[in-house]
Amino acid sequence: MVTLEELKDNCRQILKEGKVKYIIGYKRKNGQYMTVPAFLDRIEEVDHLVWDPSCIYNLVRYLRDEKMRKEKEKEPDTRPVGVIVKGCDSRAVNILIQENYITRDDVYIIGVSCEKSGIVDEKKLTKKFAGKDIRKLDFAGNGKIQVTCGTKNSVVPAEEILADRCIECTIPTPIVFDVLFGEKTDREVPDPFKTIKELESFDTTRKWEFWKEEMDKCIRCYACRSVCPMCYCDECVADSISLAVKPDTTAEEKAHKIRWVEKSPVISENFNYHLIRAMHLAGRCVDCGECDRVCPVDIPLRYLNRKMEKESLDHFGYTAGMEPEKPTLVSCFREDDPEEFIL
Amino acid sequence: MKMEEKFEPKIVAFLCKWCSSAGSDLAGVSRLKYPPNVVPITVMCSGSVSPNYIFSAFKKGADGVLVSGCHPGDCHYMKGNYYARRRITLVKELLDFIGIEPQRFHMSWVSAAEGAKFTEIISDFVKELEPLGPQNKLRSNL
Repeated sequence: MVTLEELKDNCRQILKEGKVKYIIGYKRKNGQYMTVPAFLDRIEEVDHLVWDPSCIYNLVRYLRDEKMRKEKEKEPDTRPVGVIVKGCDSRAVNILIQENYITRDDVYIIGVSCEKSGIVDEKKLTKKFAGKDIRKLDFAGNGKIQVTCGTKNSVVPAEEILADRCIECTIPTPIVFDVLFGEKTDREVPDPFKTIKELESFDTTRKWEFWKEEMDKCIRCYACRSVCPMCYCDECVADSISLAVKPDTTAEEKAHKIRWVEKSPVISENFNYHLIRAMHLAGRCVDCGECDRVCPVDIPLRYLNRKMEKESLDHFGYTAGMEPEKPTLVSCFREDDPEEFIL
Repeated sequence: MKMEEKFEPKIVAFLCKWCSSAGSDLAGVSRLKYPPNVVPITVMCSGSVSPNYIFSAFKKGADGVLVSGCHPGDCHYMKGNYYARRRITLVKELLDFIGIEPQRFHMSWVSAAEGAKFTEIISDFVKELEPLGPQNKLRSNL
């Protein structure tokens, strides 16, 4: 079990020693049980630090902002940034290192193990405890979560309220860390790709009907892109905003700036955007489930990325973010890669 | 009497400059017959075919897309086709996953000497596409 006091003590310690610029962690939302990201740069602020099953965010996203900020500063503070990561988040850090976006010295990784449990799905939680005044969530150990409603505590099996991705997660312990809290555990998941296999078993028409309905909903708010720790490109291929045609834009410039995806939220363009995104995340997605969570119209975006994850494991034996010193999935090959489908 | 119009599928073929494009050329100069449904686009290497090209082709109304490169080990750029193979595997799985008929997207190895193989691939592809009818799923509906 992760002891919050130990975690806080460590954070106070590193802030005191000046090892880190600031720490990205979680704190409680004003009087609510859910948490929000917190940026702690003073020792007193560490008191607000929280670690419980409501810490849904992938804080690795903020390393991008940090990098952009650093690039603008004339004399940047080169100390690392402390970041609290779960198992999945730590793999995201690994990928950023693997792709040379950040270096290992840019970040001080405080790992917390989810052990047998994980992060709750707010929808499942509010459904199960409908009408009750949820005050607090806690890890109860042994794959259980304690929910405090009013003054009453009830302990429920984690599976009932866990986020889908956490139920399918096999790597609950951070892979890379400077300091780790909680135990290194393995998780036995009977079939981590159960939902994907179910979707695959549909026939072509049903698959299309399913996805068409989902994509029709997309309003192209790009929340999935904004929240993704892997979407760090300065200029997104899906953005035509930066391809504005001015009077002095030459024909050559126009030819080099192709509009791959139009802005209008119609089915074909939505498909194009999401397919491109799925391809760009192939072998990089760590299934932190953030895109799924932030989607305002509830498109199961996770399934597309999860499918790519499944294929990279099945065909190439590759799991994202496990070995930062090795090349990424699509920047390497083996001579005996499968090619049965090639004519 | 009105003649019933037969569906003629449109195939977009991304052929690598060094092997497949030369292979299709050979089919031409050897006067081998193959269906005229294919729009060849010569690219420098099959490894340079971005998934964007493929999605874009479908969006602009292609009924089928073919990506063709040199045989493994024969790539002009040493290993471009190996990279292509990995990427195209993923594209193929993804298109299948969202409900695009797997017959609509193919990859092939065609060397500069395989004019006959090229004609065969195209004829088979057209035969496969004919019963499927036009591809309207990813076609732009702007």
